[in-house]
Amino acid sequence: MANTVIGSTIVIDGEITGDEDLVVQGTVKGRVSLRENILVEESGVLEANVETSTITINGTVTGDIQASERAELKSNCRVVGDIRAPRILIADGASFKGNVDMDG
Amino acid sequence: MASTAPRPATCVLGQQITVRGTLTGEEDLVVEGRVEGSVSLAGHLIVAEGGVVEADIDVQSIEVHGEVRGDIVASASITIDQGAHVSGNVRAPRVIIHDGAQFQGAVEMEVELPEGLARGLSR
Amino acid sequence: MAARQHAPSAPTGDGITIIGEGIHVNGRITGEEDLRVEGRVEGAISLTETVHVARSGVVVATIEARDVVVDGVVVGNVSATNSVSLEPGAKLVGDISAPRLIIADGAAFRGNVAMTEGGESAARNRAAGGRSKSATRARPASGASRAASTPSARATPRATAASRKAERSVTPRVAAIRPPKGAQNVDEEVTVVVRHAALSESEQSEASSDKAAKKKAKKAPPRGRVPKRGKRSVNRR
Repeated sequence: MANTVIGSTIVIDGEITGDEDLVVQGTVKGRVSLRENILVEESGVLEANVETSTITINGTVTGDIQASERAELKSNCRVVGDIRAPRILIADGASFKGNVDMDG
Repeated sequence: MASTAPRPATCVLGQQITVRGTLTGEEDLVVEGRVEGSVSLAGHLIVAEGGVVEADIDVQSIEVHGEVRGDIVASASITIDQGAHVSGNVRAPRVIIHDGAQFQGAVEMEVELPEGLARGLSR
Repeated sequence: MAARQHAPSAPTGDGITIIGEGIHVNGRITGEEDLRVEGRVEGAISLTETVHVARSGVVVATIEARDVVVDGVVVGNVSATNSVSLEPGAKLVGDISAPRLIIADGAAFRGNVAMTEGGESAARNRAAGGRSKSATRARPASGASRAASTPSARATPRATAASRKAERSVTPRVAAIRPPKGAQNVDEEVTVVVRHAALSESEQSEASSDKAAKKKAKKAPPRGRVPKRGKRSVNRR
């Protein structure tokens, strides 16, 4: 399967939709709506409301996250926004501000 | 298109020849000199390096190595080679522009776009 | 780091961004690295490197980049600081502005072309123009208009809409040159008919090409072609 990668110097201002994995090393502003997995790398910045199946965050996310399966906040990540997912993992060292909703 | 089989001889307008007016014909033609006016040819036109055609051109196919100023309509193909200068609008089912060609104008080919796109685009 | 099993694997090798086949981006993409579009992008793309629209890619956007390579479909204006290359099977509807343009056989394209100065081919062509000894009546005029257009093209290598318009205004110089030439030609109008004797040997080919010639003559009388130039604005919907 083709891997969608937003490279570190790339800025996308708008909306990303689709049914494919997404790796964010750059910046995405706007809205992301996927049925697959999102990986936000250390250099990645998401300033967007996110809808996805799973999301793994090493970088920065500002916006509300809604994951149908899992949201994972790794150490050193910075997340500001509400998270809604059946499973939420927040690692030691992660910085997070917002509400958590695990009601599924 | 099969009619571009080698003809017995090809007409060549030499380097020192200038044609001013209407040029019509039904065989292949090589222009090494100069043509001004209009060209209508049921065959293959080659504008050789150094050749200059300042005319609207209507041909079956054309290959430009020299210079053309005017609109080109070809029923088969238009090839603009490296080093060629073309300014004018070109229309053909096949238009080929090589790297190093100089072209100024509009290109019109049949572009069949995918369904949704074509609708959104049309007019 | 270790527990990344659910996450997509990070790409190997930096510096390339891929919009995969299943992805649809609606908005503006900017950046300083190569971009490969296999999915769909609507909006605008502005890069300092190469944009490659893959066979499966569909871009409905204005593209600005150093190099643009199209294998798929692009609807929108494309401007490159170096080259635009349409590969076989590519489809592009829009205007192109670039120093170098390559259209391969089998590519489909509709739109205007403005070749800005600046690429290596431009240098080559300048040299070619210098050695061309066939000085003509028309040449001084065109030379002047080209000289006039050059600075603007240089000043904005990445052509803005305005400069592209300026580029376009260069194109009609042929029309501007034509009237005096036509007037001059009234007296010396000649018609040269090229018909090779060898043709009559093969009746079939003569008959068919005769027909073709007649058809052509009917649908496009030489002088009647001039209005087509005016039609260009209509063509550029």
